[in-house]
This record gives sequence, structure tokens and C-alpha cells, in this order.
Amino acid sequence: MANRFSTTIRESTDLIETGLRLLDGAFRQMRHALQPRDQRTHVHTDAMGPRNVDGAVSELSNRVTRLSTMTAVEDVPNMWREVLEDARACFTEIERPAGGTQFGADIALSSGSLAVQQTLRGLVSHHTSPEGAFGTFVINVLEVFDDAHIYATLQYREVLARYAQRLERNPGDSAARIELARTLIKCGLYHDAIRELEVALPDPRVRPEVLHELAVASFRAGRYTNAAQFASDSMAITGSKRTQLVLWLASEKLGGYAPDVPAGQRMQVRSGKQPTSLRLDDIAARVGLDKTSGGRGTAVFDFDGDGYLDVLVAAAHGGCTLYKNNGDGTFSDASISSGMDTCLTAFITVVGDYDNDGHPDIFVTRNGFFSGACSLYHNNGDGTFTDVTAGCGITDWGPAFTASWIDYDCDGRLDLYVAYNLGSLYERKTRNRLFHNNGDGTFTDVTDLAGLVTEWPTIGHTWGDYDNDGRPDLFVSNSLGRSQLFHNNGDGTFTEVGREAGVDSYGLGSICYFIDYDNDGWLDIVQNVWSDSEDVIHTLQNGEGPPDGQAVRVWRNNRDGTFSLRSRELGITGCWGSMSGNAGDINNDGYQDIILGNGSPRMERVEPLTLLQSDGRRFHDVTFTAGLPITGKSHGVNLADLFGDGRMTLIVASGGAYPGDLLTVGAFCPKERLGNYLNVRLVGTKSNRSAIGARIKLDAGGRQQHRLVSGGSQFGCLPYEQHFGLGVETTTIDAIEIWWPSGLRQRIAGPIAANNTIRIVEGDDRLEDVYPNKTRALPSGRQLEHA
Amino acid sequence: MSPEERVEQRIGSTLPNVTLASVVAPQTTWSLYDHAAKGRGALIVFWSSVCSHCARYDEYLNRFSQKHPELAFAAIASRQNETPDEIRKALDTRKLTFITLYDTGMAVARELFTQQTPRAFLVDAESRLLYRGAIDNFKYPEDNEYEAYLEPAIEQMLAGKPIARPEVPSFGCAIQSVYYTIPRPLKNLPKV
Repeated sequence: MANRFSTTIRESTDLIETGLRLLDGAFRQMRHALQPRDQRTHVHTDAMGPRNVDGAVSELSNRVTRLSTMTAVEDVPNMWREVLEDARACFTEIERPAGGTQFGADIALSSGSLAVQQTLRGLVSHHTSPEGAFGTFVINVLEVFDDAHIYATLQYREVLARYAQRLERNPGDSAARIELARTLIKCGLYHDAIRELEVALPDPRVRPEVLHELAVASFRAGRYTNAAQFASDSMAITGSKRTQLVLWLASEKLGGYAPDVPAGQRMQVRSGKQPTSLRLDDIAARVGLDKTSGGRGTAVFDFDGDGYLDVLVAAAHGGCTLYKNNGDGTFSDASISSGMDTCLTAFITVVGDYDNDGHPDIFVTRNGFFSGACSLYHNNGDGTFTDVTAGCGITDWGPAFTASWIDYDCDGRLDLYVAYNLGSLYERKTRNRLFHNNGDGTFTDVTDLAGLVTEWPTIGHTWGDYDNDGRPDLFVSNSLGRSQLFHNNGDGTFTEVGREAGVDSYGLGSICYFIDYDNDGWLDIVQNVWSDSEDVIHTLQNGEGPPDGQAVRVWRNNRDGTFSLRSRELGITGCWGSMSGNAGDINNDGYQDIILGNGSPRMERVEPLTLLQSDGRRFHDVTFTAGLPITGKSHGVNLADLFGDGRMTLIVASGGAYPGDLLTVGAFCPKERLGNYLNVRLVGTKSNRSAIGARIKLDAGGRQQHRLVSGGSQFGCLPYEQHFGLGVETTTIDAIEIWWPSGLRQRIAGPIAANNTIRIVEGDDRLEDVYPNKTRALPSGRQLEHA
Repeated sequence: MSPEERVEQRIGSTLPNVTLASVVAPQTTWSLYDHAAKGRGALIVFWSSVCSHCARYDEYLNRFSQKHPELAFAAIASRQNETPDEIRKALDTRKLTFITLYDTGMAVARELFTQQTPRAFLVDAESRLLYRGAIDNFKYPEDNEYEAYLEPAIEQMLAGKPIARPEVPSFGCAIQSVYYTIPRPLKNLPKV
């Protein structure tokens, strides 16, 4: 019966979605008609509490859900007092209309509208979840959205107190004890968690669950033998895949499974083991890049104009870290001297020279899983930054996730796009916004004028001229929704063409980016998709995801305004919790590889980075063969030639949402350069100075390669410098062609020598050597074989 | 403060004096200069009652004065919005006996460029900075890669030797967050 119901919903998803959207529209229209004219502008929740009915209804829903999850079943009837108290708190600050009836109707319509939006998100979840996994997925989402912010802001004392109170009243409340232990694990207090779990262990009703949590806590506490034993005991009862992963992780730490682990509990890992000659070395500690804990977004750029690429890392706890490249293979901490240490608890960082003064500026979002204020930092050109957010016109009080710089109207000035996810479990979507650069240091919200309507929660977005008409278009990767593609009409407006282009499928869309993976001169789209634990474990075990799993999507540009999904044909079948990702030619063979940063807040979940190496026809998962460790929770994946020697270093900021899950930055550099290369930097004159949106075509060795200068949005904001691998035989470049955002097409004929980093100014055919006195600085102790 | 004025104290330089009131006995103040000069120096650790990383050092910090009687020691509670009442309750619950000072408005944390807890500052009798950073690289008890940072620095200091590793990055919880719409998780919390 349940299966038939589930199938019916899956088959009728389009119809149900249309109905729900019509209903949502009707609710909105009715509310609009009811509201006095002066209250129709959207007002967001602020620090004092919700200021409008929508915010109050959402906040109350969140509070009641949170209360329910922490209250014992027998105490639920007594919850009403607290619910009333919460309702009072939520509705205190809002501006009420004069009439009580109208106020009541407003609340009812707002509640209805929120319910419809939640149902829509549930519909997408149901459609994208593997058969039979919908329930688990919902529980996971509830947990992440319900409590991640409590831990990120260190407000978990109340949670501990509530469970302690429940246990004081009823020491036999094993459910409360397990939740208390989970809370302690999230805080990193593993031994306290183990103590609580041992008390609950004799209760047969919860034994498998307790054993699983004991395994997690013991693994985190470094007690691997105990962790393996607990996991094995739990598996003997439940056969849970999640427990099997913990058993494998613990056994790996012990050098392999203990002899008495039954065959059925053992996990053979087949992913990440395809052959490659690439060998990566973790150089983070050696070169001084490992300082930041709980890293989030990264950006690689030359902040001080000395030519060397510096690294900025946002941190979940504390200020940004700005690592200055010393040019000798080491980095110094310039966080305090630059002032970026005052940019606290930032999430994603994107770099663009919005005032065209030659000094790249920084925009940061705070957190797309709960709200925070975004900030704009102006680069003063003397190694320091100033927060210029106040008065710049970027008002963004909402759960901003990604952002990007782009000159959408090709006027030579960088505009800004900010995409919003959901800041809590129950929340209306904050529309993504496009801010037009006025040229005087201020920005104007032109979203409505541009027609950029976004109603699904957004994680990723990317700009690229997919139809080669000279104007950047926008792809929006929505979580719990359909993807959207907006065509740039060239007059400041956009038309949504996702359905016509064939890219509007449902999914848990994550970070995305335009690349030309097949070098045909037409931009394709890579869209990361987030998968739940079971599919990730299936991928680890089988080297590919389950048949109904959601793998990374590679949309091939059909050159006629449409795209085709080609992931499976390209060998991309693994399902990961991909949050971050980027493309670059890490082995210098002339084909762009893909790196995925994976993870999830859950403490039991530990995932590898995924390195998909392209041979021009297919992508191969070479993660473990290349020497990447199981990092855990990866954010801000970036790729850059930090040492100017042709080797692309993979930088990854790491750390989960909980304070017990902090990790430091990793930097993985090829032990040797596997091919020749050319790095190209562009300087716009008529175009924006950062040359964001420019395309480069390189002719070398009888092949063409294409690159797009991106303005961020991928969690790891790539350097403007474009890296071309040339293989081992090609040593000269025949020609470089640049498609500037201004419309200029500039062709520079060769021969141009390989193995160099050059700078090209718009309209000027001279090639400037970025490192004229290059000594090929290398991380200490390393020699370059092909130098 | 303009960027050019923001210069972090160098290793070997004299720290600005820290004079703060005790959390337990607010009428008494603790002065870094005075206490460091009484013995061979002092240790101050930025600390928070809600920081789970600090909680791992409860026992170490409780025994610190017993282990190193020649060094004065105080914890500085700078965490945003953390009240003296909350701190006192935590000290009581966790049976923490070390001196805890209240840093109103995070002023001292700002002055010493500290954003995370725990973060240690070791000074000599003249309040010259000898070591700054993490206590150790603790991740879990039986970690093969475990490395103590503060204790070796203290040993070297007491032996009159130069500090081999005078600065290590901190690792822990934020003293200040800029999220702004975070509601407290629940109201009417139980009294514990």
C-alpha cells in the first residue's frame, strides 16, 4: 500500500508541483490584497526577533519542532505552556494591522503558504530519495537544520540541560540518554558520551542504537579497538551500513579487520582506486597553510600585487586567515596585518576588483544554513582591507550561501549575485539577488528588474555564456528543487529557460560551475549533487552509486541552447555528499579534472575527497591511488599553481558543523610535474579589470583548450590565473585567443614558450612574464623534475 | 582602530597589563604584571564555559597551579554574551577552582588578538611574551600524533632555555560570532 502510494506520488510529481505552486500563488495574492500598502515590502527577521507575520510563523514552527524533538512522549501534552510562551515571543516584535480579523487571516494565510512551500520541498525530497530511503532522509534533514546552528554558535548548554532534566525525572529514559550522548559527541566530549551510553547499554530496546553511538564516540575518542567491537556488536543485530562504515574506519586505524570480524560485516572499498601516475603530497604544515581550523570557503588571489598567489580561508570559528605567499615556497600569516582577522565566522569568500583600481576586493557570505550578515571588504592597495558594507547598498539579511562577481551587463564594472539557501527548517525562500554596480562604490538591487525569480532554496550558481552570444547567463543549482537556467537577454533582463534547455530536473543541487570539459568551445555545466550516507557507502563499496542514486551531473552543451546529461557516459557514477567542487588540470595532460569536497554534519559520517581524473573521454576516480586521505568534511576546495612551477596544488578547508568536528586546512601538491603547462593571467581595460567572464582559447599540440575566468561561487574561489596543461610533448603554444567581456576578440599568434606564467592586458598583444626573476620556488625539500 | 595601528604583540615583547575582575569574587582584581612578578612568570588562557575544547582541559587547568607553583595562572572568559552567572554555574558544576577573570566586551581578547578558546599566553616575570597559542594538538587521548606545546615551553622557560616553538596556532571555539538571527534554542530552560 505504502509502495503504491509512493509510486503514485513519484509518477504525478509534476502535476502535484503545479498544483502546489498555484496554491502558493493564491495564498500570496490573498495576503497581498489584505496587507496595507506600506507593509508590502519584504522585511526579514533581525536580531530582535521576527518583525513580520511570515517570520513569526516560521520561527514558531521551528521552535515547536525543536521543542518536540527534545520532549519525552509522555510530556508532550504538557508542552502547550512552552508553545504559548514561544508564540508570545515570536509575535512580540511584529507590526500588527489595526483589525484583529485581518491579523488572524494574515496568520492563517501565511501558515498555509509556508505549509505549501514545505510540501513542495518534501515532494522534491521524495522524488530524489532512493526507493525506501525517504524516511531516513527526512530525519537527517530535520536533524541538520534543526540543530546545526545551536552548535555553531555554542548554544548547546540548553540542550544538555533539557536532556539532563529528563533523566533526572526518569533515569530509565534511554531515548533521552542517547540524545544526551549524541549532544556530547557533537561537542567533542566523547568520554562523557561513552559514560552515558554505557548506562543505557543494558536496555534491550535501544541496544543496537547505543552500540552504534558507542562505536562513533569510541572512534572519535581514538579507542579504535573498542569502536570496532561496538560496531561489530551493533552490526550483528541491525546490519546497518552506517555502522559498517564506522567498523571499517576503526579497523583501518588498527591496520585491518580483526580476525573475528564476520565476513558479512566487512567492507571492501572499491572506489578511488583507478590507476594514475599522479602522486599527491600533503604540504600544508610544511609550507604554513594549516593554521585555520573549521575552514569554510577559500579564495586564491594576489592580494598585495607582488605576483604570487595568496590564500584566504574563511573559518567557522574565528576570523578569516589570509596566508601571504612569500614566493619562496612558504606562506606567512597576514590575517592581522591585513585586517581580515576581523572578518569573523565567514562562510564563502569571493574575490573581484569591483572598483577597477587594480586591487582585488573581497565579498563574504556568512552562513546559508542560518542567517548572518554578508560583508564587503575593499582592498586598500597597501596590504590592508576595509569593511565597506555599510552604505554600499548590499542589504542581504538572510541565509546567504554562495555569491559571485560578474559583469552581467558588460559595462566594465563587476556586479554581484548572492544566492540564498534556507536558514532554518521552516522558512520561506529569500530570493536570490542581483546587485548592479553603480560605479561609485555602491550597488543597487536590480533582481526584479532583471526578472531573476528564484523560489527554490539555492546552494550553488554559476555564470557562463552558454550560447556564445557574448553575454553571461546564469545557472542556479537549487537544493530541494529544480535547477534553473536564466538566459541573458542583453538588455539587463533574463529569461528562465531551464525547462527548454533540459536542465531543470529535481535534485539536491549543490555547488556548480561552467567548464568546457570537452574543449569544443561551448560551455558545459558541472552540478554537484548531495547524497545521503547509504548511497555514499554504496559508492565506497562498489565504486559506483546505486542505480537510482544521484551522481554529480555533467550537462553537455548541445550547442543549440539545450544540454544533455552525460555523467554516466563519462564514467561519473559515484554518489557523494558533495558540498564543494572545482575543475582544473591537476596532472597537466590537457584535460580538466574534477575535485569534489564531500561531507555532512553528522559526526558518524566521514567521507573522502573525490578526485575524478579525465583522459579526454572519461573521468576516473583516482582519489586513493593519487594519495588523498579520507579528509572527513571538505569545504572550499581550490586548485592553484601556488609556486609558479606548473604544479596545481589542491587546497581544501575542512571541518564539520559541530565543535567536536574541527579540522585544519589541507594542501595536496603533485610530487612531480607530469606535463608542460602555461599559466595565463588577464587584465581587463575596457572589460572589468579582473577579466571575470573572459574566455581563453589556447591552440597547442594540435589541440584546443578552453577556459572561463570565474568570479567565484564554487565555495573555493579559484584564482583568475588560468592553468593549461600541455602534456609531455608540447613545448610551444601556437596561439591564444581571448574573448573579453567587452566584446573584443583578441588573438595572439605564437609560438609562445610553455612552462611559464604570462600576463595579457586587454587589447595589447605583448606577453608579460609574471615571474621575471623566477627561481622556481618550491616547498622546501622538493625538487622539480621537469623544470 | 585603523589597520596600521593593529600590530600583534611580538614574541619577546612585553604584553600590555591585564587587569580584570574575578568572576567568583568580582570585588577583587587580578593584574598580570603583579602576579607575574611575584614568581617566575604567568600563564593566561582565554577560556569559555561553553567551549567544548576548553572542557577537555578542565583537569589540566585545575591542577596547573599545583604543578607549576612558580607561575601565576588565570583563565580569561571573553566569550560574547557569556554572563558571569553562567560562568559561575559552570565553574561550580565542573568543580573548577582556577582563577577566572571576566573580560567585559571582549576588550582584552581584542587587545591580544585572540579569537578562539582555548589560547594560552606564557610570560616571564617581566611579562615578556614567551609562548602563545594552543595548549597541545589534542584530538583524542590515544592519538599517535599527539604533541604538547605549552608544557615543553614551560619546561624550557623554567630551565632558562630559549623556547623552541614559541608560537602555535590556536584551535577551538569562536569568542565572537556575527550571526545575528539565531534564536536561543529554547525558552524557559530547566534549572540545572
